[in-house]
Amino acid sequence: MSGAWAIAKKDMRIYYLKPNIIVSGIMFPLFMFLSFAIGKNAPPGTLIPGLIAITLMFSASSIEPVSIPIERRVKTFERLLSAPISLYSLVSGESLSGFLYSLGIACLPLAIGVIVFHTPIVHALILAISMIFTAFCFATLGTLFAAYPTENVGEVMSMLNTVRLPLIFISGVFIPLSAMPVIGQMIALISPLTYGNDMIEYAYTGKSLFSPLLDIMMLIIFILIFQVTANYLYKKFNE
Amino acid sequence: MKAIEVSHLIKKFGSLTALNDISFSVGEGETFGFLGPNGAGKTTTIRILTGVSRPTSGTATIFGHDVEHDTIAARQSVGIVSENSNVYDDLTAWQNLMFSAELYHVGRKEREEKATELLKKFELYDRSNDKVHGFSKGMKRRLTLAMGMVNSPRLIFLDEPTSGLDVQSNLIIREVVSDLVRAGVTVFLTTHNIEEANVMCDRVAIINKGNIVAIDAPESLKKTIQSVQSIEVAFDRNSTDHLDELSHLPMVNDVRKAGDKFKIFTEFPSEVIDVLVAYAHLHNLKILSITTLGPSLEDVFVRLTGLQRAGDGIHAID
Repeated sequence: MSGAWAIAKKDMRIYYLKPNIIVSGIMFPLFMFLSFAIGKNAPPGTLIPGLIAITLMFSASSIEPVSIPIERRVKTFERLLSAPISLYSLVSGESLSGFLYSLGIACLPLAIGVIVFHTPIVHALILAISMIFTAFCFATLGTLFAAYPTENVGEVMSMLNTVRLPLIFISGVFIPLSAMPVIGQMIALISPLTYGNDMIEYAYTGKSLFSPLLDIMMLIIFILIFQVTANYLYKKFNE
Repeated sequence: MKAIEVSHLIKKFGSLTALNDISFSVGEGETFGFLGPNGAGKTTTIRILTGVSRPTSGTATIFGHDVEHDTIAARQSVGIVSENSNVYDDLTAWQNLMFSAELYHVGRKEREEKATELLKKFELYDRSNDKVHGFSKGMKRRLTLAMGMVNSPRLIFLDEPTSGLDVQSNLIIREVVSDLVRAGVTVFLTTHNIEEANVMCDRVAIINKGNIVAIDAPESLKKTIQSVQSIEVAFDRNSTDHLDELSHLPMVNDVRKAGDKFKIFTEFPSEVIDVLVAYAHLHNLKILSITTLGPSLEDVFVRLTGLQRAGDGIHAID
């Protein structure tokens, strides 16, 4: 795993402060959240779990769709592909940088909730676990989309956003799942954000649609699916 | 043990056959040139040897490790210097070297010592902590080579190492490559600079349209086309008008203008010298210099790849 860690460190140094990553990972979820939160009668503090969930999703999945096409263009990606590390380590290393970035960024809404709105956290440990699994799941999703063999960041981002944006509406972040029609609830089951958001909601309120254990299991299943598919696609597209 | 052993390698992209059953081996400590026109299959071969791409059939091993099934072990003792200077512009020279060393699992103390040594060797030590985006093309190329050597490889792939570089970078790189050869490192050199291959390589392979058309020592290859001998002559008035007339002289196969000289290809150099002296006398020209030349590696390359010369360059026949 030393190769994976080396890749993650490299990404941290190069990409964390790139403007398009800041826009996609921080500004995008913030404005998205504000556009839904303003005008709602609910106290702002109750919206913190949803804000954490979408911040995790956007920031975790924003690093690789930017870094990998750029590295393809400047041919540094070839350096990673020809290094004595497994493809699994390469994919994990890429995901690791998105994961760590996301955890750092998600601490902002968490801190705002605690300091500004005094939002109580019922299960702190569950909150930490939910953030870790949600962040890793979406970091892997970002790495999966970045497997698409293009040197154009915009192409990957467009494809990714066609998946990320609908997830906000079908995962119970702004509209509670119980308030959604049956078909919506069915679709919500195939969204990883549903389980991440559900677990974060549980950590804050003690109430959730599913048990935290089921949420974790579902997130692990999504991580495995994304990781295995990413491995396959990176292998396939290198031919 | 052979450094590289390639056996019946075939690579197809759909209906296109990029490599058509090629076989060759490279001994440990050998400097091996891999020449061919664009699209001949050089890059495909290197991508397979470095485990980036998989062959359709056939095998390739690096120090006995199969590149397809034992990829990581095969890559571990290899250094790769790609044609593009693929360094990270947003990292410093030092960080680039550290990253490369970490990918090759070089221990902290060893990688710091090696990086210091390489930065000094490539005359980049003073710029160690500068971000690479301010470096010149030559400096980036030197750093790329340093990154390829940071794991002290037993085999190094050099893809166009000196192409388009300034004189200083060119000299440094050639000196370092000579040091590698002296230290017993196997060098797999891909270059368009045929003279560079002629001077540096123990053996060269010429690949064309996915087939290896020749593989031997440069001097042995030259002997196969002794008919391509030439005479370089400089007159006091080197008008291009002479080109047509010289090409029609007896026993002359071809004439090219090379700078302030004419290069005349013939199978009978001593007889053609007499003809040239007579020609000069007839046209009231003074011969400033006249030299007979054996076939060059470039002549071998042109003959075997079916390329044709245009001016001073070599161009593919469409």
